Amino acid sequence: MNRAPLIFLGVFCALAFSFVGLVLTNQLTYGAFTTHVDEDEGKVFPLQTPGIAAQGKLVYQDLGCVSCHTQQARREGFGSDIGEHSRGWGERQSVARDYLRESRVLLGSQRIGPDLRNLAVRKNPDNVAFTADWLYRYLFNPKLVVKDSSMARYAFLFETRKIIGEPSPKALKLPEIYAPEEGYELVPTARGEALVAYLLSLKDTYAYPETKNVYTPPPASEEGETKKGHE
Amino acid sequence: MATDSSLSPGLTPEYSTPQAAEASVIDASLRAPLIALTASAVVWLLIASMLGIISSWQLHTPAFFDGCEYVTFGRIQPAQTNAFIFGWGFNAAFAVGLWIMARLSRGALPACGVLLLGTVFWNVGVTAGVSGIILGFSTSIEWLEMPGFVSPLLLIAYALISAWSLVVFRAGRSKQIYASQWYLFAALFWFPWIYSVAEVMLVLSPVRGTVQSVVHAWFAGNLFLLWFGSIGLAAIYYFLPKLLSKPVSNYYLASLSFWWLVIFGSWAGVARLIGGPVPAWVQTVGAAASFMLLVPIVILGMNHYGTLSGRWSALKDSITLRFVACGIVALTLMLLAWVADAIHGIAAITQFTYAVPAQVQLGFYGFFSMVMFGSLYYIVPRILGTEWASAPLAGVHFGASAIGVALLVGSLAIGGYNQGFLMSDATVSFADVTKATLPYLLAASTALVLLAIGQLAFAINFFWTLSRASAPAVCSVKGLLAAELEAAR
Repeated sequence: MNRAPLIFLGVFCALAFSFVGLVLTNQLTYGAFTTHVDEDEGKVFPLQTPGIAAQGKLVYQDLGCVSCHTQQARREGFGSDIGEHSRGWGERQSVARDYLRESRVLLGSQRIGPDLRNLAVRKNPDNVAFTADWLYRYLFNPKLVVKDSSMARYAFLFETRKIIGEPSPKALKLPEIYAPEEGYELVPTARGEALVAYLLSLKDTYAYPETKNVYTPPPASEEGETKKGHE
Repeated sequence: MATDSSLSPGLTPEYSTPQAAEASVIDASLRAPLIALTASAVVWLLIASMLGIISSWQLHTPAFFDGCEYVTFGRIQPAQTNAFIFGWGFNAAFAVGLWIMARLSRGALPACGVLLLGTVFWNVGVTAGVSGIILGFSTSIEWLEMPGFVSPLLLIAYALISAWSLVVFRAGRSKQIYASQWYLFAALFWFPWIYSVAEVMLVLSPVRGTVQSVVHAWFAGNLFLLWFGSIGLAAIYYFLPKLLSKPVSNYYLASLSFWWLVIFGSWAGVARLIGGPVPAWVQTVGAAASFMLLVPIVILGMNHYGTLSGRWSALKDSITLRFVACGIVALTLMLLAWVADAIHGIAAITQFTYAVPAQVQLGFYGFFSMVMFGSLYYIVPRILGTEWASAPLAGVHFGASAIGVALLVGSLAIGGYNQGFLMSDATVSFADVTKATLPYLLAASTALVLLAIGQLAFAINFFWTLSRASAPAVCSVKGLLAAELEAAR
């Protein structure tokens, strides 16, 4: 190992090998993956995110929500994301095609907070569907709606303004101590509205061909244990 | 070099031909750029540890600074990671890597203007990037959060800095290429490739869907294992035999572990995608490549522990050796944790929990930073031509770092496993999972405060030493450079 050019060549080949094998191969094969045209429904899945939700995704990005929240439901039997006796974080596991229209995929690597991939079709801690109003109050002060929440307040996504004419339908219904003074109301800013619209657009419910007839393992005898042949 | 070949190949070549005069000329030629790089590294280290304490505190006390958008966890945490990796990590790696390369190649730096310019560019780039994250321009891609516009600047700066390692290598008189240099060559060449691929395919013109996740896992794995890993290993292979005055045990195996790590390590990063929405073969390949790391774990262990065995008493006398020994232990544990996390049953529990940052901290802090600290304790007095200003401060730094890392990694790992077990039991509510992690998070915050105290001691010691040495050093650097150029002719 005393020849510098040989070391360089070897290092080059090793990296080229993994670059071709992992990056290029995936880009050339499933990087060309297409959307699914459902002729019965006359729609192309995954659906395009509506404009305000797309703006909301930028708010999600700039606030760094991905630091605490993942956006992927793992398959049944791997953790307890979906299926029976699970946290119910989705109707089915997330597949590659769900992310096809996203210019930035935010899978995330930490669950300091719960997964958000299917927020729009999940039940909130009060066991009813998430609504914009619930999410506004949660973002304004999480402890208002979930006593044990460990999320920080995102009060800067809201502003207090004078009521002119009719009160805004988006105004937050707050308990006495947090309520703004008479004649004023607390409403979400444009960013707050966009963020909530984005959160309420999060759902992977469409059944693609690849998500049907997926082998689901028999329930494991113990939590977290996976048996042979689950792959 | 007839005399060289008769010596054991495991002995640091420079040690085998002690030429004090040559070494001091090399050190003098590196003085200005190394001071600039080390000083920036130390400043970034302090910034990162301050941000780290804030973000860690927010985990158990969510109300901490939550009124201010710029200080929310989602911004401070990525700002901390980037300041740590690109601010402290790269500056320190540039300094230590260049010095080791110059000493081993026995070549002096011909000029330092461009290198200093590169250092300025790099730090301007990192400053812009970290401020960008805090102001809300984050890309939200882990370890690549800095806004896209800084990446050309960082790449140019990288070229301006790292090219000099090749210059000193070419200028050098040594005919041997030692293990440290293999790793340095690999690292030098590695970063621009992975970084530019990741920036282009993720930020500038994003590829479709979860191909992004594969590219990202490839980048992150390579940066962690093969960039920081290589720089740390280069320093370990240099300092162990040098400070113990004995050849590396089983040195003939070192090249095998090098190639093994380079070939399989570059595939191992995608193991983190186990269970995710990417092709099953990618996950399997990642796990298989991670298992392959068992071979370098064994060989590196034979090299490192074999060299240290019977000489543990030497740790008492040398602060560098103490830091490096800690780094060696952390490296072994980190690689073993990497292999364990590639096992399905374990990944199902540890994935997305605090066990992940525990492993990352073990690598960045326990291994890389500890080895860099040790190296700087050796290098700084030599380039400044003086002793460290305070031995007690160095002792405080070592004690706080060793205890801090153990406490940080231990609490996050145990807390993370606990969190993972509770999370996989759907009858435990999410709020209860969060509550169960609180004591561990408090312990982690305490550890970060301890680490910050150590780093503060290091910074004070460094700048104190610098101020004591700077007056004569600045005057003499030009003279020595001129003398060295004469000698080269």
